[in-house]
Amino acid sequence: MKIVQVSDKVVKEDGKLDAFLGIDIGSVTCKFVLMDMDGNVLESVFLRNRGSPIESAKAGMEDLRLKIEQNEQIQEYAIRCCGTTGSARYLTKAIVGGDLAKTEIIAHAVATQSLYPDVSTILEIGGQDSKIIILRDGIIVDFAMNSVCAAGTGSFLDHQASRLGIPIEQFGDYAIRSKNPVSIAGRCTVFAESDMIHKQNAGYTKEDIIAGLCDSLVRNYMNNLSKGKELAEPIVFQGGVSYNKGIIEAFERHLGCEVIVPKYNVLMGALGMAILVRDYYLDHATETLFRGLDVGDIEFKTSTFHCGDCPNNCEIVQVKMPQDENKVIARWGSRCGKWEVF
Amino acid sequence: MILSFPNMGPNWVAFKTLFEALDPSIKVILPDPTNREAIKVGVKYSPEFVCFPFKATLGDFVNVIKKGADTLVMAIDCGPCRFGFYHAVQERLLHDMGYKNVRLIPLDQADLLEFHWVKTLQEVSGKSGLFSYPKFVKAVIFFLKKAKLLQDIQTAEGLFRAYERNQGDTTDVLNNILIKLDQTNTLKELRNFKKVIKEDFNKIDVDKTRTPLRVAIFGEIHISLEPYVNVDIRRKLGEMGVEIHQNLSLWDWVSHKFHLNFHRRWLEHLSHPYVPMDIGGECQWVLGEYIDRAKSGFSGACHVYPFTCMPEVTARTIITNKLKKMYDLPIIFFSFDENYSYEGMRTRLEAFVDLIESRRKHKLGIERISYEEEKNNFYKSNGSHFFQECIQLIQT
Repeated sequence: MKIVQVSDKVVKEDGKLDAFLGIDIGSVTCKFVLMDMDGNVLESVFLRNRGSPIESAKAGMEDLRLKIEQNEQIQEYAIRCCGTTGSARYLTKAIVGGDLAKTEIIAHAVATQSLYPDVSTILEIGGQDSKIIILRDGIIVDFAMNSVCAAGTGSFLDHQASRLGIPIEQFGDYAIRSKNPVSIAGRCTVFAESDMIHKQNAGYTKEDIIAGLCDSLVRNYMNNLSKGKELAEPIVFQGGVSYNKGIIEAFERHLGCEVIVPKYNVLMGALGMAILVRDYYLDHATETLFRGLDVGDIEFKTSTFHCGDCPNNCEIVQVKMPQDENKVIARWGSRCGKWEVF
Repeated sequence: MILSFPNMGPNWVAFKTLFEALDPSIKVILPDPTNREAIKVGVKYSPEFVCFPFKATLGDFVNVIKKGADTLVMAIDCGPCRFGFYHAVQERLLHDMGYKNVRLIPLDQADLLEFHWVKTLQEVSGKSGLFSYPKFVKAVIFFLKKAKLLQDIQTAEGLFRAYERNQGDTTDVLNNILIKLDQTNTLKELRNFKKVIKEDFNKIDVDKTRTPLRVAIFGEIHISLEPYVNVDIRRKLGEMGVEIHQNLSLWDWVSHKFHLNFHRRWLEHLSHPYVPMDIGGECQWVLGEYIDRAKSGFSGACHVYPFTCMPEVTARTIITNKLKKMYDLPIIFFSFDENYSYEGMRTRLEAFVDLIESRRKHKLGIERISYEEEKNNFYKSNGSHFFQECIQLIQT
């Protein structure tokens, strides 16, 4: 996990500098980061998901290609390796031709360590999941992901913002304006919502309700994830929800210390993947499997079928490439694992 | 009489021989390997908040009744947790479902030296008294032998999978050897069966230069032995290149109930300061095993238990709040129920493997020893006699 510091820019035979692509396709958004050998972000793309990870990956690649075409400096770079993370990492890896797929937990930890080498606690709240990562002396010692409940994640906040009739971008500002946050039952999204409606109907202001909601979500996060874990400083807070100033403030109140929000707060997963794939490239120096930036033009077909060889009757998903003689590039979903081997 | 019993991983081999050897008139049939349909049926007819093994075994019973079984055997325990009620509640549920002619015979395993299980064997065979005595002895010896061999197979499987070159070889060998063991019906062959296990596993193409991580799996017995309900965690971890160590097996449990399992006594000793008595499930031994594994140089541990299992949750809380700070062995918890899917588990497992890998790298860097040395030190000081023999096979 050690981050290799390389200062000299190495020019390869094709006369281009090394660049690495990290892709993080999560439940709600997809993130692309193009990074150079030194760990500087050259270009990034941040999009809301479009239907399926395949379409999101294609759309993201298209965006990235356009951005690169407009920027002459980046055209000096060539993508040497590509890594994927997020809940759709294996599908994305098959689609774009990734060299490495890692879980978002590792990717987040690596990215944060590259920016804050002495980080001890990482709080991450994304669209559908939230996690906590505990590090000591630069290595991950513990992690937890929300297991049963999505209370307090981005999607829920998004939903509540639209229900209250305020844009999600201003959610945090409303919370900060509040003087007396009301208390909201945050144990469960369903209860939180009915409690909020009740408070709304009782005439509390939007500001107080939103601030109360932020408080209760932080409480819920702490109860669910940080059970028995020692949260030491420095604490870094990232993921989509870290745009929300109300939540940041609630965290600071709850923890009694400063919470750092990194510059690339939503891109951390993709950045971490780019770093991981750079280390992978330095260790292995293999030919990349990356299909190139024009993945958007390649057609992929997914189909599902029921295996039927045993009573489990697993649903198998397969991805085919019609251009390449209908070759199956990925297949998964079986419990016994026999379809994954080809 | 057509007799059957619920699934618990590969242990059907041992139970089948126990009942078949009792009397030639007993025909043993097996439920289908636990599958989605069986679980669906079990969930439908069970109380919602009962432990998962209850639902899984009820599903197996329904499955096997439809295949023609009229006598079912279920282990009981007058233990402190809900397992004590399984048999009685399941019998009522089956009767309510309309299977009135089915007998559910309890197999008391609370303390095997009290010999309540002899009554079960008498009831099953329909004979009592001295006449049937030699048959009982034969049946029990066969059962114990096969249970011990199953544990050896489990040991070899956990080790070889981490070294196999072609993914899936070990699983194939495992499936074949279970059938072979099932077909072995003389005492002489059983005595030599260890050799067969070694020969078969030795056929696997291994890469002996690997230095796999070592993870101990422990937890509730049904969950940790039945591959469907634990999403085949042994195989999933093994195929990520992790050596699986698991003491828990049918033999481990039976020998414990015969008061012959000194390893478990040792674990009880280790966990005594935290849980001084058996509170059901495997709580006591899970704590003991966590401490024991932490002291003997493992990379990580994995605790599996059914959702809503009180004793295991107690163990989990003691580990996270107390033992983890003292012994510092990374541990991951999985609570399984019918809603558990592999996707969420895969992310956690992969992250866990990455975590223990980087921790090992860091630790070895500080201690300045190579992976190879660490591996050899571990192998020298750990594992049963059979485990050592397996290592010899891999290294030569």
